[in-house]
Amino acid sequence: MASATRPTTVRERVAESDPSLGRLLLVAAGALFWGWLVVSWLNRWLGGVVVPVGAPLVSPGAVEATVAALPGLAAYAGDARFVVELTPELARGTWLTVVITAVSLVIGFFIAVPLAVARVYGRFSAWLSLMYTELLRGTPLLAQLFVLYYGLNLASYVPGAVSGVFPRDVVWVAILGFTLNGAAYQAEYIRGALESVEEGQITAGRAIGLSKLETIYYVVLPQGLRYAIPSWTNEFVYLIKYSSLAAFITVPELYYRADQVASETFRYTLIFIVTGVTYLALVLTASKLMERVEGAVAIPGLGAEREE
Amino acid sequence: MSDDEFLTVTDVSKWYGDEQVLHDVSFEMDRGDVTVLIGPSGSGKSTMLRCVNRLAEAQEGSIRLDGEEVLSPDLDVDVLRREVGMVFQGFNLFAHLTAVGNVALGPRRVLGLSEAEARERAEEKLERVGLADQFASYPAELSGGQQQRVGIARALAMEPKLMLFDEPTSALDPELIGEVLEVMHGLVDEGMTMLVVTHEMSFARAVADEIVFLDGGHVVERGPPDQLFERPGKERTGRFLERIASHD
Repeated sequence: MASATRPTTVRERVAESDPSLGRLLLVAAGALFWGWLVVSWLNRWLGGVVVPVGAPLVSPGAVEATVAALPGLAAYAGDARFVVELTPELARGTWLTVVITAVSLVIGFFIAVPLAVARVYGRFSAWLSLMYTELLRGTPLLAQLFVLYYGLNLASYVPGAVSGVFPRDVVWVAILGFTLNGAAYQAEYIRGALESVEEGQITAGRAIGLSKLETIYYVVLPQGLRYAIPSWTNEFVYLIKYSSLAAFITVPELYYRADQVASETFRYTLIFIVTGVTYLALVLTASKLMERVEGAVAIPGLGAEREE
Repeated sequence: MSDDEFLTVTDVSKWYGDEQVLHDVSFEMDRGDVTVLIGPSGSGKSTMLRCVNRLAEAQEGSIRLDGEEVLSPDLDVDVLRREVGMVFQGFNLFAHLTAVGNVALGPRRVLGLSEAEARERAEEKLERVGLADQFASYPAELSGGQQQRVGIARALAMEPKLMLFDEPTSALDPELIGEVLEVMHGLVDEGMTMLVVTHEMSFARAVADEIVFLDGGHVVERGPPDQLFERPGKERTGRFLERIASHD
């Protein structure tokens, strides 16, 4: 209890990891991936300022020729050309995947925090929160999406939005589904973290005259949410991948577009390897991003090395 | 027992389930008094202390503070607590806030001071407990003695009319106890009304106006320190003081 300083925080550990070759490669790959995505998106929104809309950023023919010239890789020149031709569709789909994931995650977070607080500190509301989380976690996500889309026909109620930069109606149905479902999972992670905040913190808050809710807001949440970051990152990663289920309610995200091309060309293996790599890049970005966030909000002695 | 006492505890009883932990506890304090509750562990002294700011709920009896009934169901406990400061055995500093943040939270969020005013008050209180050089330190970066002094500053920042100390030095390494007791001595000199649970008998003897000896939830004996230490009226008191003395 009366221990001296223990300065091993996430921030310091991040700072200590020196730039190795692997790290440099990872950063280079990340820059290439996001550079490709962002330029592709801008090119489409701005009406083809870099290349004609729908065309790859680099010429498929040039890539094919380059690969054909490389010793031992000549056999794959056709595949390389095909992958390059695929990139505009992938970039388009990835935009929706990113939007659906990010929006659902953020809105879901603001639902999850009250759910978790209710679960830990409420009485009747704890019961309601439990009902909600168990229902949403206990039924298949795809079934939930189908209920919203086919059952309630929600897409017909959502006001139409401009297609292109802003997603079409059906995308909002998917976002609603992922938000409601993700909130239940996020609430579980946050609940666990809130429960690990020491009781004495609440006692101290109450003792200076903060109400129960004020104590939760000013004392418990700032600590609990920091504790929650590592497990919350899981939900982020899951959501990126689960968002592919939106394809089943006709949302043209990454998986949907990949599947469309595959059913026309029958090049399933190649297409889904490339699609898988795209998801992998998104997931790696998410976990690196959350690692950064964790480091940025780290507080000495909090979370990184808790006693007990 | 008169009505003009500052704090009057009358026949307070408390149960945890079937177990009675306080039996008709009574004592009173004037403004500016220092009363020290002593007794073996499990004697109910910390529970008694917590009943005064309603962190624990007494089921029977009366606690009148400055003319108001603390145990009244109509009392706003948040208002009571902003007037009664508390210092904990385990410090209970807000782990995510700096020393200044810990002390400023109450003035900012409970008393409604502006950010700048709250900060100014926090710095003033931290200076008072000798931590002018630790404003930006987080609890984990402070020694136990420093943490407890932040704890005292945090309670003082609410400008309370009564301070409760719940074994403030029990969790400290022996060499760190002195700095905390020194701060507490300073508060006594300034006339702060203090109700203290402690095992520091020399401190109790030096500053207490009255010592209340609790055992098994009963007040066994109470009186001025000289009387209690020199001529305990009850055999149990004498035995307890001897045991404590042999540990020192």
